[in-house]
Parts: sequence; structure tokens; C-alpha cells
Amino acid sequence: MSFETVLMSIFSAAFVATVIRISTPLILPALGGLLSELAGVINIALEGIMLGAAFAGVVVGSYSPDWFPYLPVWVHPWLGALAGIGVGLFLAWIIAFFHLELGADIILAALAINILAQGSTVFIMFALTGDKGSTSTLASPALPTVVIPFVNNIPILGPLLNGANLTGYNILTYAAFIFTGLVWVMLYRTPFGAHLRAVGENSEASASVGIKVKRVRYQALLLSGFLAALGGLNLSMGYLTIFQANMTAGRGFIALAAVFLGNKNPLGTTIAALIFGAATALAAQLGTLDVPNQIIEMIPPFVTIAALVIYNLRRRAQIAANARKFQERMETEHGAI
Amino acid sequence: MSRKRRQFFLELLRIVLVILIALILGFVITALVSEEPVEAYQELLTGPIPKISVGEDGLQMRGINRFGNWLEDSITLTLVGLAVAFVFKANQFSLGAEGQIYLGAMAAGIISLFVQAPLAVNISLALIAAAVVGFLWGLVPGILKAYVGADEIVSTLMLNVIAIQIYNLLLIHWLRDPTAGFIGTEFFSETAVLPVVIPGTRVTIALFLAVAAVIATWFVMARTPLGYEIRVIGANLKFAEYGGINTKRAIALSFAVSGLLAGLAGAQLATGLVKQLTLGISVGVGFEGIVVALLARNNPLAVPLAALFYGYLRTGAQIMERSSDVTREVVLIIQAIIILMVTAERLLPLIQAWWRKRRPVEEIISSAESREAADVL
Repeated sequence: MSFETVLMSIFSAAFVATVIRISTPLILPALGGLLSELAGVINIALEGIMLGAAFAGVVVGSYSPDWFPYLPVWVHPWLGALAGIGVGLFLAWIIAFFHLELGADIILAALAINILAQGSTVFIMFALTGDKGSTSTLASPALPTVVIPFVNNIPILGPLLNGANLTGYNILTYAAFIFTGLVWVMLYRTPFGAHLRAVGENSEASASVGIKVKRVRYQALLLSGFLAALGGLNLSMGYLTIFQANMTAGRGFIALAAVFLGNKNPLGTTIAALIFGAATALAAQLGTLDVPNQIIEMIPPFVTIAALVIYNLRRRAQIAANARKFQERMETEHGAI
Repeated sequence: MSRKRRQFFLELLRIVLVILIALILGFVITALVSEEPVEAYQELLTGPIPKISVGEDGLQMRGINRFGNWLEDSITLTLVGLAVAFVFKANQFSLGAEGQIYLGAMAAGIISLFVQAPLAVNISLALIAAAVVGFLWGLVPGILKAYVGADEIVSTLMLNVIAIQIYNLLLIHWLRDPTAGFIGTEFFSETAVLPVVIPGTRVTIALFLAVAAVIATWFVMARTPLGYEIRVIGANLKFAEYGGINTKRAIALSFAVSGLLAGLAGAQLATGLVKQLTLGISVGVGFEGIVVALLARNNPLAVPLAALFYGYLRTGAQIMERSSDVTREVVLIIQAIIILMVTAERLLPLIQAWWRKRRPVEEIISSAESREAADVL
């Protein structure tokens, strides 16, 4: 394939649709990571929570017809999703409990959750199916795809809103964008959001004005568990309909990177996740151009480090500028006296 | 009993207790899935010990390779554990050991593949290359943290991804042996691998390297200005700054020395154990090092003990997997329980109460808050 054809395929609605699909399991956990980060409790267990939720969704989704044969068929995947969310909340709660109640370091507690998820998913999978690689012997259902009505006849809008084949996206893809809006509203338009940001900014000052720091942090971590769980469910009950050992493959960490690259706000975070998704989609396209995959895979972490450096340098410059202003004001006031 | 001794024994008691609880929970989990949990757990707990019997041909020892597996793994874990302990001692949460291991393995592997020299020269070069590469790769997040203020957790996790991709890139596009059925280099020649010291195992002179690393790390930490600076920074960054310590330089160096040790662990993997470069040569050993450092309370002299314990558990798990219906992943669950309980400072309120009496109030604020304070500075 020539460079032009690759270029053409990138600037197509189909490519955008691919990016959106690939980005979904990054956007959802990234929003979760954003909430906990803003509350001052960084959650590096997004990876493990996604993995646990993805696994629980597949297992419960595929055993549900045996357990509840009298339920209508469409219910089973949702029971799986519910189980996944339950596992996500539980894992997040463990972190919150050990950090907030028992004084465990939050990084190490989250690391333990990553290890726990990695180990227990394979452990249980082997006990259930006798296979350590994937749940290929289980018939696991998918969460429904949703087609937005009436737009399919509109040239560019159709493929954009309903995917390349106009067959719609997984419901969690829409959820990713809806939650981007909801998280924004919650953070900047509700008292809870204000409390959450205040706690992250300065927990002691927040406590002194009566904000229940511990409770806010519990809520932030549980919300991050919920959103990361949705991301994991998207992987195993949408993107694919199977669970594979370690199927998150570092997405939880890339999601965390999106939080920092996105300047710690919901819109920026989602855009950053889309950029990372685009890099992955691009890798698939550029594979035909002899550009090694590994170089494309380096882009997200590299961009994140660059963003981290720029963010910190700018913050330092700002602090220095403020300090200078303050000094000048003091001097003029002093002069007036 | 002196205070220091009492503190030591209480700490030891606490960790032994935590390990016991974790092992019991691990057994409960095993019993849930296994047909023969007792046999499985017995393999886990006794597997790595060689079985000595007196037969017709005199003294016989079976299972020497299992014993070897245990020691081999403990050597790697000791080096990684030292790496993590060194940087954690400065209260810096570098999670970059994994990437440093990969690049250390790559550096040592390239020397082993391309340098034709006598054994001593060859392996010295390989170890030095791994150490230098680890040092430099560790220096990157160190400088970013110390001079720019970039969060080390995010930067080291990102650098891990980059390091592993560099490793894969070089391996797949340059070093791989096209005739091999899987992605890997040729085996290193005899003069380019670490010589074995216990016949029948892969326990190599890396054993002495590990012992030397323990002593050297202890010496640097306890007896040199850099070690003093790192300890003061770890205890109280503000105090270190007021005391006139060049904290930026010391923090950057703590990352770099940690990288050096992790790079050596990579060299041990490549030139001691695997004897070639393969995809996924480390699979999470960098994170296992965190458990070792935690159990050793970041004390270099305790690191080998923690590594021996944890290596024992890992080897036992592999033996259990081969001879029973339980997968080795049960050890990951036990590991997670150990991490959670060792870090949960208020879990054993008795010790905590005693601890509170000795420490100034400022130090008791949760480590997350002290981390924030470190960020503000």
C-alpha cells in the first residue's frame, strides 16, 4: 500500500469509527482515574479492576442461562455486566478500605489489587474451564450494540455515529461519551464535584471547612472502580466476547496516562484517550508501511511523559510569576507607607 | 531488651504473622477449587527442598534442580528487591524496575551475542553494560522527578512501556534468530554466559554477585554520604532541605542506583538463566521486587531473606502446578494478600499504639499525605 492510500484511509469516517471503538476501553477507565486523581487518591489499579470486571462479566454472563433459565435471553448479558460492576466496586473498595481505614499506602494497595486480579482471574478461569489462556469454552454473550436511528442516510454523519458498517457501536461506547459529559457536570456544577476537587487540592483545608475528606475519597475511588469496570466489560462483552488472560494489556496504565495528558479534566482526558486510540488504529494502518508496531506503541507513553514535563514546567513558571507579582505588590504597598 | 532490638523483633513478628495469615487464606482458596488441596499445598510448601535419602549407592539427593530453581529465582529477586528498596528508602515510588530489567537484559544480551572475548572479559562487559544501561534509564525518571517535579509513578510506568517496546523492537527486527520456531535470539556461546557454581542447576556466579550487591547496597545506604542523604530525604524531605542537603541530586541518584541494580537483575535473567533473549523475558519480576522490598522493610540486609522466602513460594507454586490441579497463580493471590496486610499499618493496632508512642505526630500522617507534601515541595 502506498503512503497516499494509507493517508486516504486515515481521513475516512471508517477510520474515525475504528478509533472510537478502540478508544472506548480507554475513555471509561480514564474518567475513573480522573475522579480518583482529582480527589487526591491516585488509582493505579484501573488495570486490575478492568481485568476483574471483564472476567466476572464473561463468567456470569455465560453461566446465567444455566442458573436462571426462566429469564428472558436479553437479561443474561446485563447480569454479567452487573457482576462486572460489582467486582469493580469491590476491588476499588478494598483499596479505599486499606488506604483510608488501615493506613496502607495507596500505590501499594492498588498494586496488590492489580496482582490479585491478574492471579485470581487465571486461577478461577482454570478451575472453571481447565484452560489458562481464555474462556473459549464458555458461550459468553455480548452487551447490545445500539444504532442511532435516522442518521444512516446522511453521508458522513451516518458512519461517524453508527460505525463503519452503519451497524452501531456497543452500548458502552455511547456510555463513554455520555459519562464524559456527566463527569464534567458533576465536577464543575455540583457541590459533590467541588468537594471532590477541594479534597484533592488540599485535604486539610477541606477538612477544616467541614468536608468529610474520607467519605469523598471513598466515593471517588468507588466511582473510579465503577467506570474502570465499564471499560473492562467493554473489552470482554463488546470489543470481544471472550475473556483472555491479561486481556487489558496495559490499557489501565494508558488510561491513567490520558488523565495526565488531558490536563486532569474530563474533556481533555477523553480527547487524550481518543488520541491514544488513534495511535493504536494508526499502528494497524501503518503496519503496511513497514513502520514497526513497537514504535507506534511508544507514542502514548512518550507523549504522556512530555505532557507531564510541560505541565510541571508551566505550573512552576506560574508559581514563580505569582510570587513575583506578590513581591511587587508588597513593595508598592510598602512604598506607599 | 534495647528499643532497637524490640522494634526489630516486633517487626519480624508482624511480618511472620502476615505471611502465616496469607498462607492460610491461600490454603482456603486452594481448597475451594482443588480435589486434593492438602497434597497440592504440601507440594507448594515443601517442593523446593531437595529430598535426601540413604540408598544402596550411599547418600542420594533428589530434586536438586528444584532446589536450584529456588536459588536461581532468589538471586534475581534479591537484585530486584535491592533495586526497589534503594529508591523506596528515599520515599520515591519508582515502579520502573520492570523496564530497567528488560533493558539490562538487552544490554547484557547484545554483548553476549556480539563480543568474542575470553569468559571473564565477556561476562564482565555484559554485567557492566547492563548496569550502565539500568543506571541511565533509571536516571531519566529521577531527573524528571527531582528537577521538574514530574510524578514518578506515572513517568516510571510510561518508561516501562517504552523500555519493553525498545526491547521488542530490537529483538524482533534485529536480533532474532530467523530459523528459530519462536521469537528469540540464538543461545549465547559458552564464553558468554555466567559460569555455573552448583552443578545440575542454573545457579551461577550471579550468586556471588547478589551477595556483593547486598553488601554494597548496605554499605552505600549505611556508611556513605549519599546513603545518609537518601535516608534523611526518605524520613523528612523538608528537614533534608533545611539541613542543606542537595536533595535534587540525591533523589535523582536514588533512582539511578536503583536502575543499576535492576539492570543487573536483567543481566542475571539473560546471561544466567535464559541464556538467550526471548519475548517477555521478565513477566512482572520488577513488580515482584516490590513485594521483596516491602517484606524486607527496605533494609538491604533483609532483602536476601525476603527474596529466599518469596522465591521459595514461587518455585513451590511451579512444582504444585505440575503435580496437582491447582495453578501457580494462587501465589499471586497470596502475594496480593501479603502486600495489603504488610502495608496496612493500622491493621495490628497493638503495634501501632506502641509505634505511636515513639514517633512524632507529624510522621503518623498517612503516607499519602506525606507524598502530597513531597509534591508540594
